Amino acid sequence: MKRRLEVGSAELPFVELDDLLQHRARIGAAVLLARHDQLSFSRLKALLYETDGNLGAQMRKLEDAGYVAARKEFQNRRPVTWYGLTAKGKRALSQHLANLERLIQRARGARE
Amino acid sequence: MDHFERLEGDLRFVRGALDASTKSASPSALYFLWAAVVLVGFVLVDFQPDLVTEYWTIAGPAGFFASAYLGWRHARQTGQASASDGRRHVLHWAAVLVAVALAVLLARDGGMPPGTLQAVILLLLSLGYFTAGLHLDRRLLWVGFLMGVGSIVVTVVSLYAWTMVGIALAVSLVVAGMWEGRSREATT
Repeated sequence: MKRRLEVGSAELPFVELDDLLQHRARIGAAVLLARHDQLSFSRLKALLYETDGNLGAQMRKLEDAGYVAARKEFQNRRPVTWYGLTAKGKRALSQHLANLERLIQRARGARE
Repeated sequence: MDHFERLEGDLRFVRGALDASTKSASPSALYFLWAAVVLVGFVLVDFQPDLVTEYWTIAGPAGFFASAYLGWRHARQTGQASASDGRRHVLHWAAVLVAVALAVLLARDGGMPPGTLQAVILLLLSLGYFTAGLHLDRRLLWVGFLMGVGSIVVTVVSLYAWTMVGIALAVSLVVAGMWEGRSREATT
């Protein structure tokens, strides 16, 4: 899902941002998974300071969009969910970050 | 500019999370393992020099594989597994191991007295630890520096030099391991 944003009041071309990656927890998870191949749910929760319920909901959105893949396994009889970024997720994140950079550059230009 | 302020806040937050995730990830057990291996191996040079080659031929590669296993287990326990990080660690230490093995092979022709070879090996290890401190785990920096000093000590001091250097290195590795464990407790 893409959303068009206008920078300030200046007459600037639109920049498309991925709505799914606009949420702090979702972009945080995507960036962390781009840096590390696999992260467990508890590790993501600790790094992103999220609650179980909120992170679970955000990760499900990324999973439904095909941006992340989840894998469940048992460690010492306890279930552990591991997440990894898919090729689609990597492309989306890369595009989103490039667009963010453009947006920031334009915003700087508009401020000056 | 509300949207931009939120965006900036989000990016700062993501950067903070990323920084926290890339802090040193070596398990304390790894430091303690090498403290024991180094202590025994160095004391042998002074007290049982005929066993030194056999000891390191077994302990070096065995320690390498044990370290790889400990690293893998630690990654699973902490819930953070990075193949590229793992590859970097394995390649670094494999290169150090190969360099030491090649130094031993080169000295086999008799081109280097055993005492000098041992100091050269310690110097290679020092370089390995120092560069590991620069690129992999900051806590190994001063262990590498200490090893470099040790390689000079063993060439200058004649009595129990290896034992002294071995004890100093074992203590430094144990301290680094305890420091690692404590800083992890503080961040979790």
